[in-house]
Amino acid sequence: MPELMSDTPTRGYSEEQKYSIFNKEFMPHIDSMYNFAFRLTMDEDDANDLVQDTYLKAFRFISSFEQGTNAKAWLFRILKNSFINDYRKKSKEPAKVDYQDVETTYNSEEAEAEHTVDLRAESVSDLIGDEVATALNSLPVDFRTVIILCDIEGFTYEEMAKILDIPIGTVRSRLHRARNLLKEKLRDYAATMGYKEENEE
Amino acid sequence: MQTSLPSPPPSNLDSLPKQHCGHQSNCLKMIQLLVDGEATEEQLEKLRHNMEVCRPCIEMYHLEKEVKALLQERMEKKCCPDKLIATIKERIFTFS
Repeated sequence: MPELMSDTPTRGYSEEQKYSIFNKEFMPHIDSMYNFAFRLTMDEDDANDLVQDTYLKAFRFISSFEQGTNAKAWLFRILKNSFINDYRKKSKEPAKVDYQDVETTYNSEEAEAEHTVDLRAESVSDLIGDEVATALNSLPVDFRTVIILCDIEGFTYEEMAKILDIPIGTVRSRLHRARNLLKEKLRDYAATMGYKEENEE
Repeated sequence: MQTSLPSPPPSNLDSLPKQHCGHQSNCLKMIQLLVDGEATEEQLEKLRHNMEVCRPCIEMYHLEKEVKALLQERMEKKCCPDKLIATIKERIFTFS
């Protein structure tokens, strides 16, 4: 995994310092990491494996982490890379939608034309968590990822760019597209549940 | 880092001067920047103005806020099982 930390010089931590960094800076993020892994894989066993792999890698490469810097973003980046490099290859459930196809479609001129989803805030305000999760899970994984990082984990665009190894402009546009897709899914949900436009005065 | 702006209550929407908007898609992008705390001062200024006059902007703003809130507050946050924490610690301590 050398690409992960190629831009940072290594540090000579003592064994004691390594354990201290691991416990004080890495472990506090384990619930967020698990939640991220679960939302990516949608499977508890896979989330377990992914989090374990990530923490073991983080320890092995701890000398490329600078103490006191953004440990959460650093860990999320390792997890994301592990997911792409290891997990997706051996995934029980192969990706149904090829991300490249989706991005190409959404980059096409039709998509660049004025695209907003006709939906009202009141229409979705009664949706429950499971419905929101199902809508989110139905998105292609790269779109799901930006929404999780931004809206659930609260990362800034700059942090997301580092975690995902993409320019900030791509973070912005991918997030925009991801949200449009999500709103379409939510609109379908809201419609089947009867919270439709008739509710307006 | 500003993530919200004052906007009129929904009951007053019909009386707003601007009921339609020709560049909704661009406004939506700006609104998302605002909601994410990533808007520049210039963009905020523009949005502040829109919130006083433009119905589509106000509606899009409320929708974006609502969707973000749904994701943040309604979805279950999975916690890491204790067993996994124990396994990781055990594996780390047998590392060296």
